[in-house]
Amino acid sequence: MTGLPVLEISGLNKSYGAVRAVDDVSLHVNRGEICGLIGPNGSGKSTFFDCATGLTRPNAGTVKLDGQDITGWSLNRIAREGRMLRSFQKTVVFSALDVEENLVTAGQMFTFPGLWSTFGIGAMARARVEALQERAREFIKIAGLWDVRHQPAGKLSGGQQKLIQFASMLMPEPKLILLDEPMAGINPKLIERVVESIRFANQKFGVSFLVIEHNIDVVTDICERIVVLDQGRKLAEGTPDEIVRNQAVREAYLGG
Amino acid sequence: MSPRDLSLPAPRWDLRLPFGIALAAAACLAPLFLGNYALHAIIIALIFLLPAHGLNLLVGYTGLLSLAQAAFFGIGAYTSALMAVHFGTPFYLNLIAAGAVAGAIALPLGIPALRLRATSFVMCTLGFVIIGQAIAKNWIGLTRGDMGLSGIPKPYFALGPASFTISGTTSFYYLVLVIAVIATLAANLIVRSAAGRNMVAIRENETLAESVGIPTWRYKLVVFMISAVFAGLGGSVYAHYLTVVSPLTFQMYYSTTMLIIVLGGGAGTISGVVFGSLLFVGLSEALRVAPEVRMIAYGLCLLALVFWFPKGFAPLIDRFWSFLKERK
Amino acid sequence: MLSAIFEQIVNGIVSGSVYAIVAVGMTMIFGVLRAINFAHGEYYMLGTFGAWFAIEYFDLPYPVALVIGVIATAVIAVVVGRFVMQRIVGAPPETGVLATLGIALVLQNTVILVFGGGYKFFNGGYIEPVSIFGFTLAEQRVLIIIVCILVFVGLELMVTYSRMGKAMRAVSQNIECCAVVGIDVPQVALRTFILGACLAALSGVLTAPVNVSVYGGMGEIITFKTLPVIIMGGLGNVRGTFFAAMILGIAESLVATYVGLQFRDTVGFATLMLVLMWRPHGLFSAQARF
Repeated sequence: MTGLPVLEISGLNKSYGAVRAVDDVSLHVNRGEICGLIGPNGSGKSTFFDCATGLTRPNAGTVKLDGQDITGWSLNRIAREGRMLRSFQKTVVFSALDVEENLVTAGQMFTFPGLWSTFGIGAMARARVEALQERAREFIKIAGLWDVRHQPAGKLSGGQQKLIQFASMLMPEPKLILLDEPMAGINPKLIERVVESIRFANQKFGVSFLVIEHNIDVVTDICERIVVLDQGRKLAEGTPDEIVRNQAVREAYLGG
Repeated sequence: MSPRDLSLPAPRWDLRLPFGIALAAAACLAPLFLGNYALHAIIIALIFLLPAHGLNLLVGYTGLLSLAQAAFFGIGAYTSALMAVHFGTPFYLNLIAAGAVAGAIALPLGIPALRLRATSFVMCTLGFVIIGQAIAKNWIGLTRGDMGLSGIPKPYFALGPASFTISGTTSFYYLVLVIAVIATLAANLIVRSAAGRNMVAIRENETLAESVGIPTWRYKLVVFMISAVFAGLGGSVYAHYLTVVSPLTFQMYYSTTMLIIVLGGGAGTISGVVFGSLLFVGLSEALRVAPEVRMIAYGLCLLALVFWFPKGFAPLIDRFWSFLKERK
Repeated sequence: MLSAIFEQIVNGIVSGSVYAIVAVGMTMIFGVLRAINFAHGEYYMLGTFGAWFAIEYFDLPYPVALVIGVIATAVIAVVVGRFVMQRIVGAPPETGVLATLGIALVLQNTVILVFGGGYKFFNGGYIEPVSIFGFTLAEQRVLIIIVCILVFVGLELMVTYSRMGKAMRAVSQNIECCAVVGIDVPQVALRTFILGACLAALSGVLTAPVNVSVYGGMGEIITFKTLPVIIMGGLGNVRGTFFAAMILGIAESLVATYVGLQFRDTVGFATLMLVLMWRPHGLFSAQARF
């Protein structure tokens, strides 16, 4: 776990008018680590994610991925070149595409060298797509979606869509995945499933994680290190034990 | 998978290939059975199929509503006309030039236009048509204004020592048929490629598409340009068929017609667009419906499409294909 | 020379007034329904046809014809509003575009089918010249300017003080909250639409004596001129629309005189294109709603 952190964010600032959503926040994620990001509602976690992943432009601060400065990169560039992916709070899939197509689409921009190559019709393009399809089918089997794999993703249940979303993010073999409240709206039985998936991806594929989550049990269970935000500022950082015992953190969550 | 039948299964033939062959045969033999007017209607339908394919890629697959097809249709028509009249270039050169010029002009137009939100974008594309017409009317030195360009020669082909001119309706029909088939195949290839999947992804959820590495803005621009190329090709054939172009080639009416073809036939499907073109354009031409009645029908169709049949004829076409496949 | 320019400006103010009355209706419809009404110009046309019909076939005096024109349009607007426009509320923008395009096609072509496509002659109105501040202007033109002022003052008062006006503002600002507070959104939408259509019709009848020719396709050009006005005035912004309309009227007049008549009708959209390409948020704030 030593060496350059896979993600290093320094001095991130984002204001909306007079409101400081993110106030000088710095954090890092070590390679192969599962890091948690918690904080009361409105503490700036989602805004922080949006800034880190290129959905929003921060007012100040730098974001470095494996040492490379990616501040100001667009969402698609960070995903494609940086191999840093993110999920969304609301589970979204490509509704009109079936499960297999969803996964293939999620992986396409990582095997095709550029926009124009995706228009290709030759043997190379077909081979790439076939490789993606095979990989997709493996994930589909693991996720238990084999029977519904040709159904349009929009018709599946919320839990199934969540699995599709997760599998989509593993298609490109990313370095780092930012999960935005992965347990939100899942029934308790599936939570264990999602936790397993995260561990599986982390251990088998070496994917690092930064997870926003409200479910403290899950966070203390899977995260090796936790960062706490409150009102846009970093409040505390440490191992799950340290954080749980931290007085300021307890006040932030319980106090006003 | 349906459960296995324990009794002897009734023979279920896949009728799709026979149907396709029958269709191809009908298309090739049509001039033997149809009179000139019916052929004319099909020719017009096939000409409009080209810009419709382009619009389908934009609206049906990428999810971008655009009214600009008429503008690129007109640009293609005028490009071909000018080349034919001033340089006497052969038809295939005019055709290629029309597509190329339309696509090239789409680039500087698309870049600022695609920065706009949906409503403003639609307005902007409408503006392209209006400005296009204004230019055609007022740049008299180039376009001869309202008088238009006439006397566009019929397409001729020179293959070594042999050469032939497309002069009759029948030969024009075959020419357009070939072009339309090639265009449909091209559209099909685009749609089945990885790019086609990306386009659908952009339509379904742009942010999600971005998050899986798809450069959505660049795709929109590329599809905008490709759709302009299709429109330009259509305009070129139109110019050579009518032998006349005028500022009236830049009309909202054409954009609306192309919209009806795409939305009515089934946006996001290739067979839907072909069906839509033959139905909405071919049929109304063949029935010699008065233009006002046709426009009223188009208007009612738009309303029906928007509120009750958002997929147009696509679900019916789908069921027809399934029926052919499994005779169920 | 100066008086010639001034005369053109006054002409511009007259046409600006016409555009303003039409545009304010369209912009209010956008504010409440969030839809660009591509059929808006058709109501201008319908009002004109209604008045023309009353004069041509029943020999009614102009003021009566004016009322008939507006009422006829109102009746059609009720039907269109109930069956189409109300369904556009809350739908994605494409729905509004396509539906209103459809309505435009139906209205325009039905009129052409019924009355024929040729140009008709509008025989009415106050075309006697009157002298104001040293220049001569047809009475009708002065009437147009006066009505425009009255309409805008009236709208300002209505929007600020009347219940309907407040409801309109509420719907245009936050449609989700409206249902919670007990505002009948579909009803507000319908009424706003009818109001907008009637204003367009009013504008049409007022202008008919000046333009003289009446034909089924006259609405389309009006729509194409009004679109730039409402976008540049700021969608939903009543005051901005007034100024944008005036600027367009004056610009058209000056261009027609000093650049060329053939360019007059393109000024609006050409300017809109330039603005869209370079300043996508319009010239006036779209935030300053009603």
